[in-house]
Amino acid sequence: MSEQLVHIEGAPRPRTSIAEIVRIALNLAAVCALGGVVLGGVYMGTTRYQAAARLDTEKRAVTSMLDLGATARVTEVRQFLDTAHGLVLYRARSYGDDAAPARELTFALDGAARGARTASGEPAKSLTPLGRLFVARQGGALAGFVLEGESRGYKNRIRFFVALDSSFMIVGVRVLEHEEDPGLGAEVATTWFTGQFLGRRPGDVAKLSVTRDPLPEDWRAALGELAHTSAPAWRGLHAGMMERERMQSVHAVTGATISSRALTNGVRGTIEHFRRRWALLAPALGEAS
Amino acid sequence: MSAHGTTPAVSGPPPSPWQLLVNGILTENPVFRLALSLCPAVAVTTTVLNGLILGVAVLAVQVLSSMTVAIFRGVIHPRVRIPVYTIIIAVWVSAIDMTLAAFAPAVYAQVGLYVKLIVAFAIIISRLEVFASRQPLVPSFFDGLGMGLGFLLALVTIGAFRELLGNGSVLGYHVLPSQPLLFFALPAGGFFSIALLMAFFNWLERARGGKPAASGGSHG
Repeated sequence: MSEQLVHIEGAPRPRTSIAEIVRIALNLAAVCALGGVVLGGVYMGTTRYQAAARLDTEKRAVTSMLDLGATARVTEVRQFLDTAHGLVLYRARSYGDDAAPARELTFALDGAARGARTASGEPAKSLTPLGRLFVARQGGALAGFVLEGESRGYKNRIRFFVALDSSFMIVGVRVLEHEEDPGLGAEVATTWFTGQFLGRRPGDVAKLSVTRDPLPEDWRAALGELAHTSAPAWRGLHAGMMERERMQSVHAVTGATISSRALTNGVRGTIEHFRRRWALLAPALGEAS
Repeated sequence: MSAHGTTPAVSGPPPSPWQLLVNGILTENPVFRLALSLCPAVAVTTTVLNGLILGVAVLAVQVLSSMTVAIFRGVIHPRVRIPVYTIIIAVWVSAIDMTLAAFAPAVYAQVGLYVKLIVAFAIIISRLEVFASRQPLVPSFFDGLGMGLGFLLALVTIGAFRELLGNGSVLGYHVLPSQPLLFFALPAGGFFSIALLMAFFNWLERARGGKPAASGGSHG
């Protein structure tokens, strides 16, 4: 910094009086307060639309990841923890229909069923939300699941969806929100990274890990096609290679091993958690586990 | 900041709106002439669309911040002016960030990460310090508009250059049968693209009888 930049016309130097310091502090405080008011106003004005936009993105993600038709019915299941009574609650209701009554299932922490009832309105504020999953049915048959997961990335949380078909095979992974570095960690949201999860079966998931070895060239080329091919069509084209790769580790994004691990471990944890949950939930929701 | 000596009428009578627009777009183009904010310019300009969206966001932040500083320039304490500028820029960036997330989620998914980085763009704070803090509202508005447009045009030009040479397409439409020089889509190619276009702008400026390249220092 040059001398010119430090010297300000009219400002006393080198000593600063207490009155001057107070004036500076008040000046900064006023600017921050004003900024806070502006931001608060913008937040209040946009939060409703942000929520609507998020719901819309989610709905389209669920539909496209499971390749659902117009007749599909999606049930949203939200899980809550009731710390006061040591209970786990599940509320299931038709997705996107806030007015529909919810079916509420209660379990003790050891998994024993404690009852079921029909509930309406929002759940009590004292309950801790634990996560969500979506169950899709099409033409009377189970079409698949979309699980919401979250994991700690390099910078902030990474929120993602994992889609499973009715045999619990992974048919899609999509990152919904993240704040990883552009060009590095942000690459985990691209189809060439998330495509590596496709076709993995329940038995393979426990071994899901990250390697820094380079991607095989043919697999890289196949994953590159995912950006402009629909996932079901792609799975048909590359079934052989998916079968070969499903037992292999996920190849990390170069220079972003932490982000790669965060998403991979998140996907694994979310699926393992879901398998335990579904064993409890399926009979109560009238599905075969 | 003495390197900004070429800015016209820093504290004298304000230049006309037209002069200010031409100054921002050509004479002192932020990217090609002042060489400011080159890092983001390289990072986002792999396609025309990315350059366009980020350019519009920077234009909005520059105009709003310049106007805010011009209005409040009398009450901002000179000894904390830089932190105050930063807060003003951060407020506008956050406001635009929230607005984009609410009303243009598809665009936001594409450039949301870059929008937050605008807070640290050297070009914006440099215009606040050099111009908006010394001039009334109207000239500050046109200075912000000119600089914002200059940055926007630079990003779109670099984006078009790189997308065409690197990917064989313009705005996502393939106009060439192949990818002629993939190199230009990569970061290193970004620097070469900017260097070539900067040379062209210098030639253009000299042909118009202008001064040799102004130096904006070596800010990020």
